[in-house]
Amino acid sequence: MRFKRNILACLSVLILGGVLCAAGQEQTKVADSRVSSGADTAPRPTATSAQPVHGGATSHFEGEKRFRANCGRCHMAPHKFPPRMMATIVRHMRVRATITDEDMQIILRYMTE
Amino acid sequence: MLGALLIFFGVPVLQAQEQPDTPKPVPVIIGGAGFITTFEGGEPHLGPLIAPVLLVPMGNRWLIESRATFEADMTQRPGSSAFHGQVLKGVDYLQLDFIASPYVTVTAGRFLTPFGIFNERLYPIWIRNLQTDPLILPIAVGPSGAGTGAMVRGGFQATSGININYAAYFSALSTVTLSNVTPLDSDRSAGGRLGIFIPNARLEIGGSFQHLLQNERSNSFGFHGGWQPPALPLELRGEYQRSARGSGYWIEPAYRLSQVSFWQYAMRRTQVVARLQQYFVGKLPSDSLPSVNTREFEFGVNYYFRDGLRGVSSYGRQFSELQNKNIWTIGLTYRFAFPLGHGEVN
Repeated sequence: MRFKRNILACLSVLILGGVLCAAGQEQTKVADSRVSSGADTAPRPTATSAQPVHGGATSHFEGEKRFRANCGRCHMAPHKFPPRMMATIVRHMRVRATITDEDMQIILRYMTE
Repeated sequence: MLGALLIFFGVPVLQAQEQPDTPKPVPVIIGGAGFITTFEGGEPHLGPLIAPVLLVPMGNRWLIESRATFEADMTQRPGSSAFHGQVLKGVDYLQLDFIASPYVTVTAGRFLTPFGIFNERLYPIWIRNLQTDPLILPIAVGPSGAGTGAMVRGGFQATSGININYAAYFSALSTVTLSNVTPLDSDRSAGGRLGIFIPNARLEIGGSFQHLLQNERSNSFGFHGGWQPPALPLELRGEYQRSARGSGYWIEPAYRLSQVSFWQYAMRRTQVVARLQQYFVGKLPSDSLPSVNTREFEFGVNYYFRDGLRGVSSYGRQFSELQNKNIWTIGLTYRFAFPLGHGEVN
């Protein structure tokens, strides 16, 4: 019983630590982006973006790169689906393959552009 | 404890932001179908299968997802050349997902047990490179591969080059059995999985843990890895699992022949794959695992006719204390997807 409690506690602390670490890092990034002057006015994929996406070509390249890195972990790259289908499928894959929120947004944009 | 929970769920919820420019999702049915012929120890088996996945998004944060499987294992009766078999129907999972934040998704219902990578991600017929299951697959997830309860899971960027993904779950005991339907059973257990993914190297490693909260109250643990080197059309995956019921591993390289300089049209559609696996019997018996130490080598060739349609074939040799046997498979797999609404409209 005690062993079980310890295992569950360790698991909780591990996950909690990871989430807090990511949250802390996120706040730092947001603060940094506010300090820097905004020469790049292209829309950013999410507030959690670590690698800003600049312009169409770079955005396309970044989208393809993340698509191949994340989706290619399990299966061959499928053809593109209609945007509203793609929005559902990407949400499904976010849950199934635990894709990050940032990657999900960039992949969705790439697959619907 | 309450404070920790508030931080865990509360902070990310506050950070979650809506994406105003994303297309509105529509209900979708996706899934796989196939017909696999297997010759196991000289005995032919015909295996038609269809496994539709229903996805129903609700608002910006909710998703209902469910997969049903209809399959048959048709064999010849003694003295007859005709094939007979019963269609097995089953609900593999039926779950409600709530995307609480960029880092946390809460899932409730019947879900695929997040132990290792094969059960959750590589199992569908149109994804798997070889059509036979790894010998160690039931070690932690059991014959149904599913749990009934609740789960938190998610992924986030830890540093600029490292993503972390996690899942933690609790499953209750379920003994639900409906007529003509595969039993919706599950064990009472708790566990989790933690993984590290390095996108630039396309390298993923991780570990899983499960504690059974019934019967012998044993522990299971496992490690998994996957690598797709960016410069090569190569996939390398593997898992190791250990429990009181047994232990073992599988390792599976797959290579797409797109870099071969001759017969380019055919070669870039061809994939060769191999799998080496070994299973060691544990202290406790299990109906869903081999009863003796077993090792197996498989080699396969897959051909991608077009997006979603694939021809598959493989040869395997299984060695065990009971008997050595050949396992041949040949068949077709198909991935389908269609909207249940106006999928073309953005």
